Amino acid sequence: MKNKIVISVLAALFVLGMAPLFAGGQQEGAAEGGQAAEQDVVVYNSYWSDPEPKRVEAELMEMFKEQNPGVKLIHSTVAHEDFKQAIRAYLTSSAPPDVLTWFAGNRARFFIDKGLIMDISDVWEEAGWNESYSKGFRAMSSVDDKQYFLPGNWYWWAVYYDTRVFDEYDIEIPKTWDELMAVCEKLKSNGVTPFTVGTKYRWTAAAWFDYLNMRVNGPEFHINLMLGKESYDDPRVLKVFNDYWGPMIDKGYFVESPASYAWAEAIPFMTNGDAAMYLMGDFIRDSYPKEDLEYLDFFRFPIIDPSVPVGEDAPTDGYFIPKNSQNPEMAKKLLKFFGSKEVQEYVAKELGRLVTNNKVDTSVYNENQLKGREIVNAADYVAQFYDRDTTPEMADKGMNGFMEFWQNTDQAEKILEKLEKSRQQLFEE
Amino acid sequence: MPKRNNVPLAVKIVLYLFLVAVTLIWLVPIFIAIITSMRTNADIMSHGFLAMPKTIDLKSYFEAWQRGGLHKYLPNSFIITMPSLVLTLLLSSLGAYSLARFKFKGRTFFYFLFVGGTMLPFQILLLPVFKLSDALGIYDTYFALIAIHTAFQLGFCTFVLRNYMMTVPVQVMESARIDGCTELGIWGKIMLPLTLPAFAAIATLEFTWIFNDYIWPLVLIRSSEKMPVTTGLATLQGQYVQDWTVIISGALLATIPTLIVFIFLQRYFIAGLTLGSNK
Repeated sequence: MKNKIVISVLAALFVLGMAPLFAGGQQEGAAEGGQAAEQDVVVYNSYWSDPEPKRVEAELMEMFKEQNPGVKLIHSTVAHEDFKQAIRAYLTSSAPPDVLTWFAGNRARFFIDKGLIMDISDVWEEAGWNESYSKGFRAMSSVDDKQYFLPGNWYWWAVYYDTRVFDEYDIEIPKTWDELMAVCEKLKSNGVTPFTVGTKYRWTAAAWFDYLNMRVNGPEFHINLMLGKESYDDPRVLKVFNDYWGPMIDKGYFVESPASYAWAEAIPFMTNGDAAMYLMGDFIRDSYPKEDLEYLDFFRFPIIDPSVPVGEDAPTDGYFIPKNSQNPEMAKKLLKFFGSKEVQEYVAKELGRLVTNNKVDTSVYNENQLKGREIVNAADYVAQFYDRDTTPEMADKGMNGFMEFWQNTDQAEKILEKLEKSRQQLFEE
Repeated sequence: MPKRNNVPLAVKIVLYLFLVAVTLIWLVPIFIAIITSMRTNADIMSHGFLAMPKTIDLKSYFEAWQRGGLHKYLPNSFIITMPSLVLTLLLSSLGAYSLARFKFKGRTFFYFLFVGGTMLPFQILLLPVFKLSDALGIYDTYFALIAIHTAFQLGFCTFVLRNYMMTVPVQVMESARIDGCTELGIWGKIMLPLTLPAFAAIATLEFTWIFNDYIWPLVLIRSSEKMPVTTGLATLQGQYVQDWTVIISGALLATIPTLIVFIFLQRYFIAGLTLGSNK
């Protein structure tokens, strides 16, 4: 009796199991049939897996389909972290997606140097991007004056603060380091932690390193450090840790045990008034509670040394075509679509990010976007971000070092020695 | 075996308290998951995971099905799991039968080959398998996943089934052979029914493993249309923002098939775990 039940369950599994094999076979056949009719196909994989960007991108895909009824667009969204791993498989496969999202700058350069990215100078020429994109973005996309990349949109970093707290203690926006320290002291004495931060995923700590290093030693030194041309045991780096970052941690200017919070989990400290500021990218807006959003404002990271040029972090995301793309013509069509004024305007309006095409009228930007744009425009140098400017391996070591420092602020020298060893290993190969 | 009455009441109470406590600890994450699935992202953001929910509704389950894409990921999971399961069981039982009941040169060698296969950490296979699937032109197809699952699970299943079949008395097969039964007949009519408990146990295990697998679709599947529920749900994880309620509702929905299989076959699953423990 019992056996009968098991047999029937197993039999059912068997039938269920074999059915899709045949169904699958038919599907494959249909797909091949479609190709036989030589329909134009373009495969696009993207890492926009955050809810808001995902929604906007889905709308863009509909727009593309409407404009190009003859083209079959196969769009897949891959989880952002997974994408960073999977891209290595995509690029080495014989049939990669035709268009991929990626980080501008060094991370794209890595693949360009390996010959995995298609030269799209012709697209830049035909679409008129050489004129409609600023020199900075063009340089970012070029190697040896050939273009490989299309910058799509970007956002700024700044010190975000809750206006209710600043108003309550009658605080002016700090412009210099001394002013910032005075603000921190005032907040602290009133029982408010100056800065919230959630370092569970480490990169939030890297933002502090980026800004302090750029403000103290200048963006040129910073970017050379990122490129492995300067050493981590340089006394200038040590100064950042021992004279600026360490004292802030020691004085309790950050919330306690930040490593137990993901970046967004540290937001409630701000909304319930326990903390006042957060060094963060503008995507903080997507996660900030809607009812508190009107009290969220930001200012430029204060100047430490006025004689040093100003550097800002403004990570840029964009698109490229893999060298092995099977449908380069359609891929270029999609790329032109992404770079077009209409699409860029749409993204600027819907997503609140800043876009790259100069033809986009600044009237599409809201007040926040204009203010953020101004911060970046006023900068002498624009960096991407710690983990985008340096190699992934070095970024990993570096961020571990920052986390260690956060726990042991007296160990800066030892930590930097260790980082220097990693740098020598990783950059000398 | 001691009679139950012999256990002092105090010991019993302590035991039960302990059991209840452990059970509760085990259930807490599931309970939190269920509660979280019924809250809103904004609520989680401003009050954390462990707060009392402000609102309770089942909207996120519909969201997971529609916007979360479960309506296409879940069928994909079955399209991948079922053929893999059937092929694994079919091939491994044939292999196990021959390893258990025939004497041939290299028998031990083949046996160890199967056992050795299970020892291989799959991480070192990721790249070769990806390259192979690309070279064979099956990259980004269901077939690639079915093939790798079948191949990879074959070792373990053959190992377990072979050991179980060894316990079936040889005389049974010999008398069948004398009666003129073919080898395939013996396999199908005698061996399979006799190994049913082991079979069911393995089927349950394998179903869960293959259904819950995350890494292979990540490596071998490129388009969302073909993603199983594991990698599919992961696409709701953003760089900065996680769609918690939808992810968790989706994950809860995705456990239902595994639960159903387990409920139906659990008797044999547990019997299978204790296989050979009391001869």
